[in-house]
Amino acid sequence: MTKPSIPVGLVFSRSGPYAMMGREMEKSALMAVDEVNQSEEFDFTFTPRLRDPGGIVAAYHTACDDLIREQQIDHIVGCYTSASRKQVIPIVERTERLLWHPARYEGFESSDNVIYVGAAPNHTVVPLVRHMLEHIAGEVFCAGSNYVWTWETNRVLREIVTSAGGRILAERLLELGETAVDHIVREIVERKPPAVFNTLVGESSYAFMRALHQASRSAGLSIPVLSCSLCEPELKLIGSSAAVGCITSSAYFESIETPENRAFVARWKSRHGAGGHVSVDGQSTYVCIMLLARAIRRAGSSDVTAVRRAAANHRYDSPQGPVWVDPDNNHCFLTPRLARSVPGCRFRIFWEAHAPERPDPYLSNLDLASIGMKLDAKGDAVAKRPTHLRVVK
Amino acid sequence: MTRPSPFSVRGRHALLIIKDERDSSIVRRQFGRLGMSVSEADPEQLTAPETPVDVIVLDADSIPIKSVPALTCDLPVIALIGTETPSRLKWLLDLQPASFLIKPLRSAGLYTALVVAFDCAQRRSEEAAHIERLETRIRSRRLVVAAVLQLMRGHGLSEEDAFALLRQTAMRHRTTIEQLSVEMITLGGMPNRSSRTA
Repeated sequence: MTKPSIPVGLVFSRSGPYAMMGREMEKSALMAVDEVNQSEEFDFTFTPRLRDPGGIVAAYHTACDDLIREQQIDHIVGCYTSASRKQVIPIVERTERLLWHPARYEGFESSDNVIYVGAAPNHTVVPLVRHMLEHIAGEVFCAGSNYVWTWETNRVLREIVTSAGGRILAERLLELGETAVDHIVREIVERKPPAVFNTLVGESSYAFMRALHQASRSAGLSIPVLSCSLCEPELKLIGSSAAVGCITSSAYFESIETPENRAFVARWKSRHGAGGHVSVDGQSTYVCIMLLARAIRRAGSSDVTAVRRAAANHRYDSPQGPVWVDPDNNHCFLTPRLARSVPGCRFRIFWEAHAPERPDPYLSNLDLASIGMKLDAKGDAVAKRPTHLRVVK
Repeated sequence: MTRPSPFSVRGRHALLIIKDERDSSIVRRQFGRLGMSVSEADPEQLTAPETPVDVIVLDADSIPIKSVPALTCDLPVIALIGTETPSRLKWLLDLQPASFLIKPLRSAGLYTALVVAFDCAQRRSEEAAHIERLETRIRSRRLVVAAVLQLMRGHGLSEEDAFALLRQTAMRHRTTIEQLSVEMITLGGMPNRSSRTA
């Protein structure tokens, strides 16, 4: 008996400026589709309908419009940048479809027609800044790409740091794709900040990490770099020694030591080659397909309203740990983690939340009073909360 | 007191005057996500709210145009607009909405409307306080002139020196020139407040 087939749109940019991430995400999506199709747990199969918008923002709208109107597709998994997601939201809202969004983003959104599987800002930037203030420094130099992710991440960083009595030493922005980073690196070496917060993306970030590593080494400096986006395949692109020692916040690392993740990584490597690495966004795309399949099974149909209801609060033990959709805002409960990059394009996890954390896309539960500087003897700025500053909640 | 940030909306209270259940459920849900509390009022029987309200969300289409706006208050109003006829908009302008949204509502846009409304309310109250201060100064101008004349006559000073003395004394007493002038005219001379002078 053949199982009924449900078409699913997969919209990833395999070409264009962030093709590397698009390909990683599509690879993991197709792996999940195959697993669903071969599993006896599901009485249906997925037929993937692939679209490559080539990283062109307007092409996302065209691709989804075609999938929905011509291919009668109810569920789309895809998008990577916020600009691409904002192109797709009006059409999925108008036609009452669901977009399953794998990538972390900066928050301040909550569409009824999007399931946000990637991390919300309370999962990424907040634990990273907390760690920085408690263990590294109260003063930080920011380098980032000039777009919405950096602007918002730096705003949150500034709000938390200044509330704790710390200081943003500088904020230097580069246009997307820019690789002329020497002036920023020179300034960092001259000013010797106690920490650098890196929100550069893609080639800009790789060039920056390499140049900073080289300049720091010749100046005899060791400045901690913090990131909430770096992932394993990128460590490989940066190159061996320059990629080591970066403190990164993410809901997924390839090195998570759970049976689910070890099995997932083994399957991934046997399919794509042992030389490759699973990324947070690839794993999250896999989770999107699995959450969708489970919700369809639970709903007994691929109807959008029924699937959305079935996905709510339904726990899935994914490679990254338990994940479920919070029906209050359509984002996911995820476990935040902090890790340090080590040789071999790996991350060593040194902290994780004891349980999955409720998504807070508007950071409306951010309690600034609970984050302060707790630096020990070697840190020079110790727990000074200025009384004239109001706690912004 | 420092000014509250318009971006932090948690803990603020909204009064919804919305007839349509779909629109009001979207507003309630989104405000819940933002950590705000909400109460609702019947558009046809508007009464003064019992709990302190920070913002009013008003469906402009739900209130008959001829009704006297019971909302002449200092609170920021977010107007939900369906009908864009000039007659409806004119009525709306009288309410001085701090921001607006076009119906049908989506969750996107409500946070922006709140931030704009709170910022607008903040600026309006700061401007009102500023204007109030300026008006007080204009009203006291005659008294300042009288005080300067008193000093000129009493101490044989030039107008310039008399005003400088008045200003320095006001600074020493940590009061305004206007307030000091009132006291001088009442007392017929400089007030003796040596205890507060440096």
